[in-house]
Amino acid sequence: MGRGVGGGDPPSRCGPGLLLRLVPVLAVLAAAGAAEQSAAAGSPAPDGTVMGAGTPPSPGSTASEETRLHVFTLDYPHVQIPFEITLWILLASLAKIGFHLYHKLPSIVPESCLLILVGLLLGGIIFGAEEKSPPVMSSDVFFLYLLPPIVLDAGYFMPTRLFFENFGTIFWYAVVGTLWNAIGIGISLYGICQISAFGLTDITLLQNLLFGSLISAVDPVAVLAVFENIHVNEQLYILVFGESLLNDAITVVLYNLFKSFCQMSTIKVIDVFAGIANFFIVGIGGVLIGILLGFVAAFTTRFTHKIRVIEPLFVFLYSYLSYITAEMFHLSGIMAITSCAMTMNKYVEENVSQKSYTTIKYFMKMLSSVSETLIFIFMGVSTVGKNHEWNWAFVSFTLLFCLIWRALGVFVLTQIINVFRTIPLTFKDQFIIAYGGLRGAICFSLVFLLPSTVFPRKKLFITAVIVVIFFTVFIQGITIRPLVEFLDVKRSNKKQPAVSEEIYNRFFDHVKTGIEDVCGHWGHNFWRDKFKKFDNKYLRRLLIRENQPKSSIVSLYKKLEIKHAIEMAESGMISKVPSSVSLSEYHEGKIKPLSPAEMENMREILTKNLYQIRHRTMSYNRHSLAADANEKQAKEILIRRRHSLRESLRKTNSLSRERPAAAANTKRFLSLPKNTKLPEKLRVRNKTSSRVGDSSDSEMDATTTVLNLRPRAGKILREQRLRQQRPPSELRMEWKNEVDGSQNGRGEQQEPGSLPQPSIGFRQPLLTRPRFGTLSREDLTADHGSARPIPPPRLVRQASQGERQRNKPENQPY
Amino acid sequence: MGSAHSVPAEMRALADRTGFTSEQIEHLHRRFRQLSRDQLTIRKENFDSIPDLEFNPIRAKIVHAFFDKRNLRQESSGLADEINFEDFLTIMSYFRPIEMNMDEEQLDRFRKEKLKFLFHMYDSDHDGKITLQEYRNVVEELLSGNPHLEKESARSIADGAMMEAASICVGQMGPDQVYEGITFEDFLKMWQGIDIETKMHVRFLNMETIAHCY
Repeated sequence: MGRGVGGGDPPSRCGPGLLLRLVPVLAVLAAAGAAEQSAAAGSPAPDGTVMGAGTPPSPGSTASEETRLHVFTLDYPHVQIPFEITLWILLASLAKIGFHLYHKLPSIVPESCLLILVGLLLGGIIFGAEEKSPPVMSSDVFFLYLLPPIVLDAGYFMPTRLFFENFGTIFWYAVVGTLWNAIGIGISLYGICQISAFGLTDITLLQNLLFGSLISAVDPVAVLAVFENIHVNEQLYILVFGESLLNDAITVVLYNLFKSFCQMSTIKVIDVFAGIANFFIVGIGGVLIGILLGFVAAFTTRFTHKIRVIEPLFVFLYSYLSYITAEMFHLSGIMAITSCAMTMNKYVEENVSQKSYTTIKYFMKMLSSVSETLIFIFMGVSTVGKNHEWNWAFVSFTLLFCLIWRALGVFVLTQIINVFRTIPLTFKDQFIIAYGGLRGAICFSLVFLLPSTVFPRKKLFITAVIVVIFFTVFIQGITIRPLVEFLDVKRSNKKQPAVSEEIYNRFFDHVKTGIEDVCGHWGHNFWRDKFKKFDNKYLRRLLIRENQPKSSIVSLYKKLEIKHAIEMAESGMISKVPSSVSLSEYHEGKIKPLSPAEMENMREILTKNLYQIRHRTMSYNRHSLAADANEKQAKEILIRRRHSLRESLRKTNSLSRERPAAAANTKRFLSLPKNTKLPEKLRVRNKTSSRVGDSSDSEMDATTTVLNLRPRAGKILREQRLRQQRPPSELRMEWKNEVDGSQNGRGEQQEPGSLPQPSIGFRQPLLTRPRFGTLSREDLTADHGSARPIPPPRLVRQASQGERQRNKPENQPY
Repeated sequence: MGSAHSVPAEMRALADRTGFTSEQIEHLHRRFRQLSRDQLTIRKENFDSIPDLEFNPIRAKIVHAFFDKRNLRQESSGLADEINFEDFLTIMSYFRPIEMNMDEEQLDRFRKEKLKFLFHMYDSDHDGKITLQEYRNVVEELLSGNPHLEKESARSIADGAMMEAASICVGQMGPDQVYEGITFEDFLKMWQGIDIETKMHVRFLNMETIAHCY
């Protein structure tokens, strides 16, 4: 490659050929790119001869090459590797987009299947063009680069609580279940191999066991790809998914164990015990490395507040470090990175800024979805080739045994674990767990890693593994959704998190812990409680910058606040061009698009009501959001002010009658304000949805740029307004207009005599907050307060009618 | 009840009423005696001897629930001064896990009972409504473990939650309507999405009555 640059002629010599190959469509491009590997591999030799012998340029080149300076040169080998990687990733991402163009497709066929199909197609093209096997996804690439992002993402967004509540069961399935499968499949396949009619007698028991151990690993990538689209209840999801993560340790151990057994001539008992000990070391060692680095990561982010930009990097570096460190010691990398991510995420989240947090989240999701896509495509590509050996008996019996042992294993193990579970698993659950045991890229890579000298029938193994993977991913992956529907398995009803729900849950935890204390029993709740105390007392002090323990309720509340603010901003402020960004999102994936009028109303109602919430709780934002008042902010305020001015004018004369009627229209859609967007959202996002706990903020982050602005802006605005309220006469008129004129202005304030209430939309009750039964006295004071020219200092607390009115107009969309 | 309780017939009656197995009842009874110091009844003071409960932010509410006559399946409301073992079991039985063989109707009743128990914990003035004031008290108590948090924030959180409740329960409200508080029906509605029956339970089996009660 380097020689090409110096020598002058070689680049242009291979130029035309390359160019030709690079011209066609992307698919062919990628194929050519792959083919180029071989071309590049072959090219140095001719180059060498050309240079060394000093012979005239080969016939392909033109005479003009004698000049020293090139106006235009093409040096493909120079960029080959990054170029091809980029092309592959691009291809994968484009394929992903392609599937989602037709919105029904992902709900029928899991993405993983389609990606494999694309891969197969590509592989076929390469194979056809080159007459040789396309490049196989190298196991190193898979294990070192493609797998970690997926596991990191999974671990970081793991619903920790659910995971630990079911930890016993998960562990049971992962360890005993995998052992059971590996040994069961291995031994029964060995039985099949003994039948001489099948021509498999040369496969030894150990080889069979090794094969069994690699094929029994349920694959987290495949499981995620399928399960996050079918929305089974969280418990089921965490059982299958947790198993697929945890069984990595046992798979790694079994695989290495049997592999070295196969290479040993004699096996002593001590080796077996060494294997067992190895398991504990691999598993526990991985977890320890993960936890350690997780804490270090959290501790590091404690000091990053001065250099916010590199904050997100630490999360990735430390978790990747944990993975490769574990791999270095042949420990379970998956366990390491999972535990690292689970350890750090709580603390990191509080240390980093909102923006960094968003970056972390998006980057993680992006990386994981890209590598997932690549894995499946590569699996398809690698399938095509000459490395297969078909044997009906072996392949079909492998498949059969995989299914049987999995089903049997789940059934038997569940019977045992049900004795210990408070809520036993039903038969339906067991069926889904058994059926969800998808195999994937891990087996695939492991089987390619086998040394062919020790395993003469490696090709047979490869074929069998591929058949099993394809069967599970295609047949089971496609049918699992209808089956879940048919069996009426309890689905997840993931709502947007609500403050009251969080309060209830917390309350609930305390009640349960209390009851456990009363009956003197140390159960889950007891330990959770103990851990929380320890966490608050020591860990948080150490790892979090502002070392004041924060309640989950408060943080959730804050989160919702910000989210509301953003939603408001999105729908209310930015949309001077009406229904632009936010609305197009609403439309997507909807069966029957709403009419623009309906949309408009919905938006308005949402805006208004969300604004209420946001507005009432200014006190939070004041503390939580960085106060970086800057030009942008000022500009924003200006825009808002102008907005509100215009709005207030328009409001009073034209729109008054339309609104109530339209509101009646939209009621249907808005009967639950917080959930209004839910169905669409669920359909639109499939990446994030079933990763519990993440659902809430994926939306909110969409516009993080405005994050710091809105609440601040709102606050400043308000203060400004308060200040302005007295002196400038013009402005004053405007406010008057809004406050007093509101009685007849908008539909919402029509009721004479009553406190001005909006009657649009169902958020109404919220607006009437001060009228909750017990509050009447406070209301009085609040009203007094608003009547006074300068509202009382307890601004937020007395989120009173008058003030709210004053604020309302500027909140209007358009 | 003391020793009399070990008579099988009585045990069976208790088991029937509360749904516990006789083994569980025995465990609980041992614990009961420990708490009551071998008396027949437990008074509020007895709960002070549970060290772990001390740090529970809603400790008062929990203890209160044990003496709440509404929870004890008695007609009258108000507070009992002391409870006997049967009452103790009754309270504990709210925390039984569901059983597999329950049908829809039973499940529903089961669920409602659990929720009723929680509702009573919120509704401290026994008027069948969780008013804003009561809600605020609960949130304040919940957050009381955190010294850095001002009362203000607790209150506005409660307000926010109350607004959510109102929006969920009442939907559209007339302008002059006042949302008095969360009634039990509203409470049910709000819990619709949460499988309380699979969450609100404590493991009673295999219980070690460790004497960490001094």
